[in-house]
Amino acid sequence: MTPEIAEVKQFVVKQMPFSQLPDAASYFFATHLEVIYLTQHNQHQWLRDTQLNLYLVRSGSFDLLCARGEIVMRLAEGDYFGYPSLLTGEAIKSQLRVTAPGLVYVLKAADFDFLRAEYKQFEQYFVKAHTNRLLSVHYKQIRDSWSEKKVSEVMHKGAVTLPPCASIYEAAKTMSEHSVSSVIVSDNNKLLGVVTDKDLRNRVLAKAIDPAKPLSCIMTKSPKYIFEHNRVFSALHLMLKHNIHHLPVLNEHLVPLGMLTSTDLLRQQKSDPVQLIAKIHKAQSVAQLKLLASQVPLLLKSFANNIDDMSLLGKLLSSLSDALTSRLIVLYQQRHGPAPCKFSWICFGSQAREEQTLHSDQDNGLLLFDEITDEQKRYFAGMGEFVCAHLAQCGIRTCPGNIMASNEACRGTISQWLTRFETWLHAPTPKAMLNCKIYFDMRFIDGADSLYSEFATKLTKLVKNDLFFAAMASDINTNSVPLGLFQQFKLEKDQQQHKFLDLKRRGVVIINDIVRLYALKARIYKANTQERLEALLDSQQLSKKDIYDLKDCWRFLTQLRLKTQLESEPLPENCINPECLTSLEKHQLKEAFHLIKQAQQACAFKFARGSL
Amino acid sequence: MILPYWLQKMYRHAKLKQCDFKALHYVAMDLELTGLDVNKCEIVSVAWLNFDSLNISLHTAQYYLNKEVKSLAQSPIYHGIDETMLEQGDKLENIILRLAQVVEGQVLVCHNAVLDWAFIKNASNVIGVEIKPRAILDTMLIEKRRLTSTGQPIAVDSLTLPACRKRYQLPDYQTHNALVDTLATAELLLAQVSSISAGKRIKLADLM
Repeated sequence: MTPEIAEVKQFVVKQMPFSQLPDAASYFFATHLEVIYLTQHNQHQWLRDTQLNLYLVRSGSFDLLCARGEIVMRLAEGDYFGYPSLLTGEAIKSQLRVTAPGLVYVLKAADFDFLRAEYKQFEQYFVKAHTNRLLSVHYKQIRDSWSEKKVSEVMHKGAVTLPPCASIYEAAKTMSEHSVSSVIVSDNNKLLGVVTDKDLRNRVLAKAIDPAKPLSCIMTKSPKYIFEHNRVFSALHLMLKHNIHHLPVLNEHLVPLGMLTSTDLLRQQKSDPVQLIAKIHKAQSVAQLKLLASQVPLLLKSFANNIDDMSLLGKLLSSLSDALTSRLIVLYQQRHGPAPCKFSWICFGSQAREEQTLHSDQDNGLLLFDEITDEQKRYFAGMGEFVCAHLAQCGIRTCPGNIMASNEACRGTISQWLTRFETWLHAPTPKAMLNCKIYFDMRFIDGADSLYSEFATKLTKLVKNDLFFAAMASDINTNSVPLGLFQQFKLEKDQQQHKFLDLKRRGVVIINDIVRLYALKARIYKANTQERLEALLDSQQLSKKDIYDLKDCWRFLTQLRLKTQLESEPLPENCINPECLTSLEKHQLKEAFHLIKQAQQACAFKFARGSL
Repeated sequence: MILPYWLQKMYRHAKLKQCDFKALHYVAMDLELTGLDVNKCEIVSVAWLNFDSLNISLHTAQYYLNKEVKSLAQSPIYHGIDETMLEQGDKLENIILRLAQVVEGQVLVCHNAVLDWAFIKNASNVIGVEIKPRAILDTMLIEKRRLTSTGQPIAVDSLTLPACRKRYQLPDYQTHNALVDTLATAELLLAQVSSISAGKRIKLADLM
């Protein structure tokens, strides 16, 4: 029996996947490998098609380059390479560049195949690594992904337009001649409205309207539109949010160029959130809604494979929750009669920020008008209970903090809500700070928009207390990024002694808190962190560079976080084991944490006068 | 015309020194001893490992304990091998015979070869076999020459195996036994050769 070399074996045992395999697997690897000293002078001898190997870096650092010479991965101690060709049998596409010469462990194809056959987990690890590598390479070719495409690339070219004075009959004729399902109504190149074939059915035929009448009486006036240079995803988001299937596309001078339809988008992708949302809006019973909601996790998974920017998943999920909520409100009204007075259904926290995940819980409330009677209150109490209970059955967990419209405290009139906010603003206790963080991320979902605007305007005027900003800034600084003195990760441990980093609590949350603070200061009434940052560009609160840094950090962390969620490692939610990251990702993660730390300090300096 | 034996030997040696480093095969070897005095002390264990200019094959690694050690004395402090472990070992004669087979026609590589070679010579004389490597390379001497040529003064502890490896950013091995040190020596030689040759052809003479 070949003796194992202690130092080699000890190193191998610590590496994934061997750390999770029986000792025999590490012994096999440690006694069958060859050690090479990889330098720029001999590197051409390796990664050749004639001899396929698995490589594991022991020391030194190397760049893995794709055929075009771009860096695919920075390789350092503990990184593997060479496995894609071993798995697929395809020709080796990558090249190596030696940054610092060092030792590399080499396992021959036959021995790799032995381990693969013997240990399922071994194979799974490399198959997964291979998939991730493909994804990361794919991410670089961002232009190829449909959701990142520009609207102009996928839309119907050539706008089919008619003047508002044209007859309904003419519209039907034009649509059939061009075989399109909609026309744009415009005057002097100015978008006035949209008429779809569905409108012809519902607004003309069903109501026996004279087809000689002008289009202007049946068109959808001032419709939603999108610009040609916007990303397809923005269009999708708009369609999901407003449950529409036709979006006029305009150029910068607001001239209609064409129409983007949900069919155009469907052609771009396999799974169809648009249709799911449409079905939700049509559901006739709670049972039907639940059935549709049960498709969400699956849809999310298939959708995740199609998009590059994972943070869009949060928006998608929030759109789905919004749709479920709206439909439940309609169903409640069908059972108990229309609302006796104006109301706004609002949401808070992650749903408001459009950052929802599959594990997010409900945070919602009802805004009522001031002169409400007790009987009317009972109607809304019923609505709150009905919607929240059924949302829970649709898979959106109830809120442990009871921030739900089913709770009486969360069904308030405008003045009641304002009083609540005022108490928190003036007595900045830790509990009040926590409430501010949840409730200040707020979004209107259904009901009367006017009621919500009135409230939002009044609330904005309320937030001007410097003491509050100082308290918020110091509160933000009580949370810290998991970086040690020398830029090392500070890991946390769970009961099973798994070491991990909490990406949400120690990263995303801090950015959200910082951005919320600046947004409140600049009186920006948006809840989404990216949109808040976008809006902050016009204010003097933060420099352009800081804004872009925060945007990048947020996107990177969200991406990592959702990736781990989909891969469901045996770690607490939103946590990641840095050992599983590539050295490039580790580096980026450290950089992100570092930037967050700087932003925290800047915010303390600005709002708390550095008095920490 | 038949050349006299000594001249033949000199000729062969000169020719060997012109050999390309890449054309030869190597055996790295390390011993654990009961002490440093070749006349009084004994071999506790022998480890070796085959390699060539490109790779070190770990499946060729061999490690033998000498079950005939008469007195370990204080030496377990250094190598951690005690008498119960030795009982599992082999007879020194068998170990030396195997080594002779492996080393035949190969280049032997040791760190501080003078010491190891003296013990091996001694042991092989006792059993009456000749160990015939084509040449012996000493990673410690190679390092000493490299340091001298740069004009640096050489500190006492700057030529130990870990100190030499550190200069090439090779991993810092915590465990030290004959087997680990054999691998450490082979890795060091490859790093030294890469550094000396800088991609060009290198002759054995450049290392001797």
